[in-house]
Amino acid sequence: MRLEARGLKKEIGGRELYRELDLRVEQGCTLAIRGPSGAGKSQLLRHLAGLDPNRSATIVQAGSISLNGRDYEQWDPFEWRSQVCSVPQQVPRLQGAPAELEDRIARLSVQRDRKSDDPRELAVSFGLSTELWERPWTELSIGEGHRALLAILLARCPAVILLDEPTAALDPDATAAVEERLKGATCVWITHSSDQAGRVGDEILTLSGETDAD
Amino acid sequence: MPTDGPITITWIDLALCSSLLLANGAVSMWLGLGLGRKLLIAGLRTVVQLSLLGLVLVHVFEAGNVWLVVVMGTLMILMASYEAVKRAGRRYRGVHRDVFTSLLLSASASMLFVSLLVLQTDPWWAPRYLIPLLGMVLGNSLTGVSIGLERCLSSFDEDRPAIELWIAAGAHPWEAARPTAARSLRSGLIPILNAMSVAGMVTIPGMMTGQILGGTEPGMAARYQILVMFLIAGATAAGTTGVVLLAVRAMFDEGGRIKRSVS
Repeated sequence: MRLEARGLKKEIGGRELYRELDLRVEQGCTLAIRGPSGAGKSQLLRHLAGLDPNRSATIVQAGSISLNGRDYEQWDPFEWRSQVCSVPQQVPRLQGAPAELEDRIARLSVQRDRKSDDPRELAVSFGLSTELWERPWTELSIGEGHRALLAILLARCPAVILLDEPTAALDPDATAAVEERLKGATCVWITHSSDQAGRVGDEILTLSGETDAD
Repeated sequence: MPTDGPITITWIDLALCSSLLLANGAVSMWLGLGLGRKLLIAGLRTVVQLSLLGLVLVHVFEAGNVWLVVVMGTLMILMASYEAVKRAGRRYRGVHRDVFTSLLLSASASMLFVSLLVLQTDPWWAPRYLIPLLGMVLGNSLTGVSIGLERCLSSFDEDRPAIELWIAAGAHPWEAARPTAARSLRSGLIPILNAMSVAGMVTIPGMMTGQILGGTEPGMAARYQILVMFLIAGATAAGTTGVVLLAVRAMFDEGGRIKRSVS
């Protein structure tokens, strides 16, 4: 699967974050995204994931995005989001344990008939113990929670995974484990580390957050 | 003291009762609560509104016109909707329409059920039964609806990151917001559940009290009260469910993306 975007533009509250932005991520490749805080990196992931309406009271976004040559507009939006899956920067407040989240996600109507990997196996490859699968989210550290969430979403085999600083809360060993496991996956990966961008990115996109006023 | 009919209450009796409000006002002044003016206005509103209601009901009962009953019922539902939105404190575009729709459907369905199947009044719209029962249903439903709506909208803000995680995984709005909606529904139903739990133990409900004071035999008054409580519980559950479902629907666009329109 190939993710391609042309002429992307986004404004929030009248502030233009990016415009005329093109990007392309080939199957099995990673596009690393860098840039200062507030440059619009996370907003770009939301744009690609189809999480924001194209036009609302505060947001204006435009441009074309396609997956394997099929335009976003031709996709069922729910199917698109299950294929171009965004992993948030922070684990939100969730009820129950990772096992329950795994079960509920597997039962979503759009996910029900999809093949999936074993998230526990993925979690182990991220350096986690399977014992924490039954522990409440509130008892997990930030790093454990993030890796458990990443394992659950990655196990659903999305075509593209959008990662917002997935290793920000991890120690070097865990970071290396995550980077290693994600090799070969099709990713858009936001990072503040130029070293990490160099390690994981087949290509690197830098957002400056500055656009020329017309 | 006569026991077989209501004691006639004169305006002098009411003036005497108002001394209790004056005592409240005195306490407010003594403690500097600044509630004197509000007490005065609330007291005056009670007198004016209930006296007017009494006058209107006399005419509605005498007229025996179904359309008059329908118009009055619709007005009551409109006012209950307005009050429910006001109490909820938070709103979104279309909230008045959604609350009105929920209250209209839940109140109409429960009133028709009771009129046609339980009381079997003749005609089904007999105003002597329908209007007071509708008033009790709406008075209680609007509490449940306003609490459910407020909890739904505030929880939606608090739970937004979790809801968005579900959306990002491909969930449909209802799949993503189900826990939030369930919590809101529970909150909306707590007042009526509490009222049912303590009825007759800690409190003697208002309608039963009124009927006993009006000379009804206590056993019959209790049965009427049970009927009213079940009616209220059914209508509150239906109204709160409706408003929470409509509020959840209003939070998403047609593509299942979260709108940002709650204020």
